[in-house]
Amino acid sequence: MTETPLLELRGLGGGYPPISVFRNIDLSVGMHESVGFFGPNGHGKTTLLKTVAGLIDPWEGDIIFAGNRLNAEGRMRARTSKNLNYDLFRKRRIRAETVVNAGLIYVMQGNLLFPEMTVEEVLDIAPLAAKGRTGITAMRQRVDDLFPRLQERRGSKIRYLSGGERQMVSIAVGLLALPQMLILDEPTLGLSPKLRIELAQAIRKIRDSRVPLIIVDQNIEFLTGLVDRLFLFDHGSITREIDSGSMPKHAEIMTMMFGEAN
Amino acid sequence: MISLDTFLFILASGVLLGGLYALMATGLAIVWTTLGVFNFAHGTFVALGAYIAWQVTQSVNGGMGFLLAAALSVIMMYGIGYLLHFVLIKPFERNANLVLLAVITTLAAASIIENHILIGWGPRDKQIVPPVSGAISAFGASINIYDIVVLAVALFSLLAMALFLRRTSIGRAMRAAAQNREVAELMGLNVSRLYAMTIGLSAATAALAGVFAGSLRFINPTFGTDPLMKALIIVILGGVARFTSPIYAAFIVGIAESVSVYFLGLYWAPAVLFAMMITVLLIKPEGLFGHRSRTL
Ligand SMILES: Nc1ncnc2c1ncn2[C@@H]1O[C@H](COP(=O)(O)OP(=O)(O)O)[C@@H](O)[C@H]1O
Ligand SMILES: [Mg+2]
Repeated sequence: MTETPLLELRGLGGGYPPISVFRNIDLSVGMHESVGFFGPNGHGKTTLLKTVAGLIDPWEGDIIFAGNRLNAEGRMRARTSKNLNYDLFRKRRIRAETVVNAGLIYVMQGNLLFPEMTVEEVLDIAPLAAKGRTGITAMRQRVDDLFPRLQERRGSKIRYLSGGERQMVSIAVGLLALPQMLILDEPTLGLSPKLRIELAQAIRKIRDSRVPLIIVDQNIEFLTGLVDRLFLFDHGSITREIDSGSMPKHAEIMTMMFGEAN
Repeated sequence: MISLDTFLFILASGVLLGGLYALMATGLAIVWTTLGVFNFAHGTFVALGAYIAWQVTQSVNGGMGFLLAAALSVIMMYGIGYLLHFVLIKPFERNANLVLLAVITTLAAASIIENHILIGWGPRDKQIVPPVSGAISAFGASINIYDIVVLAVALFSLLAMALFLRRTSIGRAMRAAAQNREVAELMGLNVSRLYAMTIGLSAATAALAGVFAGSLRFINPTFGTDPLMKALIIVILGGVARFTSPIYAAFIVGIAESVSVYFLGLYWAPAVLFAMMITVLLIKPEGLFGHRSRTL
């Protein structure tokens, strides 16, 4: 018997109208598994994840989480009039609130968060999404253990934090929503090697606490140590799937993706 | 040279104006920093708030009547502001030209509200009777007790609003929605509702300013024009970098106005204020107390 997937994407396509960014994404991630995405910059990974998170409307296909479809049925209607306020008649096909309430939490890339709020204020409102559910107090404790550095910076405004600290706040915010699944978009982007190791340790602990992860990263060694399966993403499609048994080295991936010339 | 009591009189009336302007401008500023749009209907919120309060004082007399009128006006304007978000802003929020469209929709709303005031209440001047009278004298100048009450309540309301935005979860959520809409949505916050609440709060402070202004001078259907202009000058002059920026600027404008009214006359005061605004725009476009970022 195969276990039912936690997240399933069926023929998902989308972009920024009128430009299609990704198409025909079929993917399923199990209850207890973590997967990685690897691919060149600007090929649509963030756009795909923003769509899954409910920030952007999908054009076609379905997003199914824990057995429930999160998006409205059918395809997005094409624009028929240039003059009418088309948005007035076109409903959003997915809402971030629905996705968050279902427990699918997306931690955005290059997270600027709320520049003028303090770490403490941000962590205070983070559990609003999970209000009424048990486990927030325990999760606060876990967040304090995972990121002791944030304790010291409680009173600082986000805008004065380093990139690494900001990333920690972002992940902490995601955790405080009590995720069933956590999506991390390039968490190590622009971090120093030392901070990258610190963050990788924290992410490993999160994975070991059985929160399934989807991680996008440009660092293949970082990814292969964390995930069970790896998807190569190229020009808006998943071009290859690799199992943990056969994780390649950075150079091999480059060859796979760009041919021998690289 | 002017005498000490004249100086104190000018200062006192400037500070009183400053308190009223601070209420008007802060409401305009929080909508600007949160939604990124300029609400040209803000002045008519002040006027409508004054008329609602006047209507209540027609049925209930005395100090109680005034309190009831102020409370009802503030609550109703909160509701009106909240609802107007879904009519004036929300339908266009996915449009790339939202800022321009909001100029048009809020100008339209201003015109509609102003004309409905004219239809409903007629063109004649009205005044809300102040609940307290009498004056105290200090250094030979006499200061109305009511003016002091107005100033105190205005400042207290702004303090309460600042504490609400900083200390409560809802206030913090409103600031979060102002600073980064996408991340606020990813936290599961209902951003549309938070935006509507922001406009509601802005309209409520406008109403309070309207009640006070309407008890200090006459109300007529174009009562909102001057508050909108003053709030605009103040927001540009002070910038919106902090919650307090427009408040400081409001007192500068209030005092500058009463000084120029005294020395140059009523008709020159707007020219002086606009000259100040243009000078600041030329030299420090982000405002006297500002840096470039928009915040709440
Ligand atoms: N807000 C936007 N509006 C229009 N196009 C965008 C926007 N954001 C990204 N794009 C375009 O979408 C494509 C995919 O970008 P992105 O999803 O960020 O890729 P990745 O995350 O793989 O680096 C790029 O060509 C980018 O220029
Ligand atoms: Mg990206």
